[in-house]
Amino acid sequence: MVAANPAGDAGETYFLRRELVNELIQALATDDREVIGPRVEDGTIRLGPVSSAVDLPRGVGLDNAPGKARLVERGDDRLFDQPVGPDSWKRWTFPPRVTQAVWTDGDGTPAIERRLENPPRQITKKAFLGVRACEIAALRVHDRVLAQGPTPDRDYAARRRDNLIVAVECAVAGGTCFCASMGTGPEVRDGFDLALSEIDDGFVVRVGTPAGAAVLAGLPVNPATDAQFEHAQASAARVREQMGVTLPTDGLPERLIAAADSPRWAEIAERCIACTNCTLVCPTCFCTSVGQRSDLDGQAASSERTWDSCFTLDFARVAGGNFRTRVSDRYRQWLTHKFGTWTTQFGSSGCVGCGRCITWCPVGIDVRDELMAVAPPPEAAVVARPMIEALPVVAPLPPVRHEQHGTPPVKTTVVDTHRETHDTVTLRLRTDYQPLINGKPGQFVMPSLPAGASPAISISRFHNDGFSLTVRAAGASTARICALERGETLTVRGPMGRGWPVEQALGRDVMVITGGIGLAPLRPLLDWLIANRDHIARIQLSYGARTPGDRLYTAELDTLLLSGVIDIAQTVDRAGPEWLGRVGVVTQVIDRIMCSCDKTTAFICGPERMMQATVDVLHERGVPDERIWVTLERHMDCGVGLCGHCQLGRFFVCKDGPVFSLAELGPAFGIEGL
Amino acid sequence: MSVTGIAPHPRPQPNPRWATPRRPRVGVVKFSSCDGCQLTLLDMEDELLAIAERFDIVEFAEATSNRSHGPFDVLFVEGSVSTDEQAEEIVQLRRQATTLVAIGACATSGGIQALRNLGDDDAFRNSVYPRPEWIAALPTSKPVSDYVAVDAELYGCPISGRQLLELLTSLTVGRRPQLPDEAVCAECKRLGNTCVLVAGGESCLGPVTRTGCGALCPSFDRGCYGCFGPREAANTVSLANWFGEQGKGGSEVAREFAKFNVGAPAFRKIVERER
Repeated sequence: MVAANPAGDAGETYFLRRELVNELIQALATDDREVIGPRVEDGTIRLGPVSSAVDLPRGVGLDNAPGKARLVERGDDRLFDQPVGPDSWKRWTFPPRVTQAVWTDGDGTPAIERRLENPPRQITKKAFLGVRACEIAALRVHDRVLAQGPTPDRDYAARRRDNLIVAVECAVAGGTCFCASMGTGPEVRDGFDLALSEIDDGFVVRVGTPAGAAVLAGLPVNPATDAQFEHAQASAARVREQMGVTLPTDGLPERLIAAADSPRWAEIAERCIACTNCTLVCPTCFCTSVGQRSDLDGQAASSERTWDSCFTLDFARVAGGNFRTRVSDRYRQWLTHKFGTWTTQFGSSGCVGCGRCITWCPVGIDVRDELMAVAPPPEAAVVARPMIEALPVVAPLPPVRHEQHGTPPVKTTVVDTHRETHDTVTLRLRTDYQPLINGKPGQFVMPSLPAGASPAISISRFHNDGFSLTVRAAGASTARICALERGETLTVRGPMGRGWPVEQALGRDVMVITGGIGLAPLRPLLDWLIANRDHIARIQLSYGARTPGDRLYTAELDTLLLSGVIDIAQTVDRAGPEWLGRVGVVTQVIDRIMCSCDKTTAFICGPERMMQATVDVLHERGVPDERIWVTLERHMDCGVGLCGHCQLGRFFVCKDGPVFSLAELGPAFGIEGL
Repeated sequence: MSVTGIAPHPRPQPNPRWATPRRPRVGVVKFSSCDGCQLTLLDMEDELLAIAERFDIVEFAEATSNRSHGPFDVLFVEGSVSTDEQAEEIVQLRRQATTLVAIGACATSGGIQALRNLGDDDAFRNSVYPRPEWIAALPTSKPVSDYVAVDAELYGCPISGRQLLELLTSLTVGRRPQLPDEAVCAECKRLGNTCVLVAGGESCLGPVTRTGCGALCPSFDRGCYGCFGPREAANTVSLANWFGEQGKGGSEVAREFAKFNVGAPAFRKIVERER
């Protein structure tokens, strides 16, 4: 018996007798590491703290089928012969509830003067024992979504740091497993510190990293014999054969995206309960919501991030509307994102083929069947997709720097307030935070008040010493913001999003088309256009409102009109005798505007229906999609592409938009319920 | 009702500085019910003093001998409307209340007593009471919202103290009350409960029931009874079909749905279909 070379090379293969698993667990637990692994609990296989081999599911199997999971007592000595249970490792890397931010500064300070801060995190190091091939793929998907974007999720990054991954190669395929179809397994290829393959009397252990070798170093292991190694390989091959390829994935993203109008969505909705189980057991679903916690007075306040799901009604709600009321819309969103647009967004499918969504659906809906029905492959030929090109092993994440967070909470002071309409107020806010002063027209901020929600609000003007927000009291939080008085504090995060592409205006005719409060996000654009007036052929503002009293910035518009710097056409839906202007909808105005339309750039902001009608007119007049820019409204909780609420096709409206050209949006613009 | 149980029609938003200079006047009244929801308020021992400081409780027969007929800034109504007198009284109370909140399964769907809505009221009366002619009750037990406009509903049998506190807090600090209209399943999954339906083959109404209880029953390995009533888009037909496919008989399936929220249309539909 020889000890493994302490500096054991990646790729070395050893044999560990089964009775030494206890020693392996102890070795994993050194350095105060918490070992998490599979256990029999509550009548199924769960993941939880494992302190010795006794905790592992010895001789127990799990019979998975659509809507059913039953424990099977086999009575043998094998420890890992089960398909996955309902838990995935995201319970530890991305917990269901995380305190996100706390309003601090002690008890004496009035809540509104407090600072919003991230609480310090105490995270114990973890060893994950029994990670399957599909789950390694899932961790990588999460790494890409949560930790490798422009604004990484710091909590996730901290929880992923120093994980020891002890993979286990499956020796049985569950009834709902389809990793072979998704190209993520069943063989464990990489992304592990140690990989175990269970054979008759123990484990063939592969070393993936020096950290894995160090764990093995103190254990009495032998190099694996050829027979043992082949035994392990044969076992993996058997699983692949047993599972088969049940889902042809060639061209699946394109097929799904093209199936947006399929009648099948409504049929699925007759069975789907929108209960959220599929998304919450999914190891890659990452959508969250931010809720507020506070005492009765709103003094001790904090915000909490919780797992959420695109299957809830609230998920796509915005002030005054909801983008996905029908269950068929929600199912389409989930399936199309998971198997379709995810690929464009993050470079891989969102599905790893673990089958949890099938097993734990309380009415046994099988995504494989639904995919085949809604987006059938062109030919019946079922072709195994080759193992996807091994994605680069995720490098350890560097410590997150403050700047990298992108949008720290910034305290601003209200220096002026101006009532625009009966329910809309412009607040001028002072700050010396340069990114906010130098933001781009069309960007937005997310203001927070203690114990209140953080709505997304467009910046309506930039100043040398701050910026302005024009806020309509559409809900409780915006009502509180509107009620702020001079000298009071407002904490904001921002600037967020991509602004208007102002350079597209240079040398062209510009049409700015909007209605009601929609003028607010366009005002910084107008400011820019006017400042660069000499380089723009013609500036035409078309502004509609419900009534004359619903118009914003009326005094300013009057001055502008008189100056002749830009052309302004205003129209209202309803008016009394005092209104001498036009009555009608804004599309009628743009119908009559003189323009060299093929040389025009259009910037539009308004309700989606108004924008669609406007786009129709612009199309008729020959303005190309590349130069029609719209700004979209969606539910936003985080503003930085992490919470998932504002998902639209392959975009996060918050970070990829909210400004898009029609050419970019393609079919994603104007589909109801998307 | 909309997603949060807050009626969708526009109404004045709570003012952030609302509690000054005077405390909002709060009333708690009841119709046909067991008083359990009112007790939930009294059971909130840690918060009760803070609530009493913040709110002027002017009517709450369960707790104080002070009486008031209004006006109320916030009026909590427990119980279903099941007599003529109650049907008149709720209209009077509505006129006295700026914000009217129906609390509990009785006030929001008719309660367990709405079982009579599905049967022969006279037959029940004659078999239960020695002098049925003395009983002056309506043939149906209905939620408050069948009679007057309701600004918010707190569900459950009984209601959750946490949700009641959230509603009060949302009024004092000025935020949209966080009363998510999602399935009990979402809470089960966050808590890490094993699904009793999938793993144990038990009947559980969790997938179609509104969260709010903190997934109480599944946390103790039992199926959900549906105390908080059907959530939005509650696909009870699909769940009942699944129960049937798993070998449960029609009357067994009907019994699952014929409980505290039998008066809610999504549950009642299954009872009528299966029994």
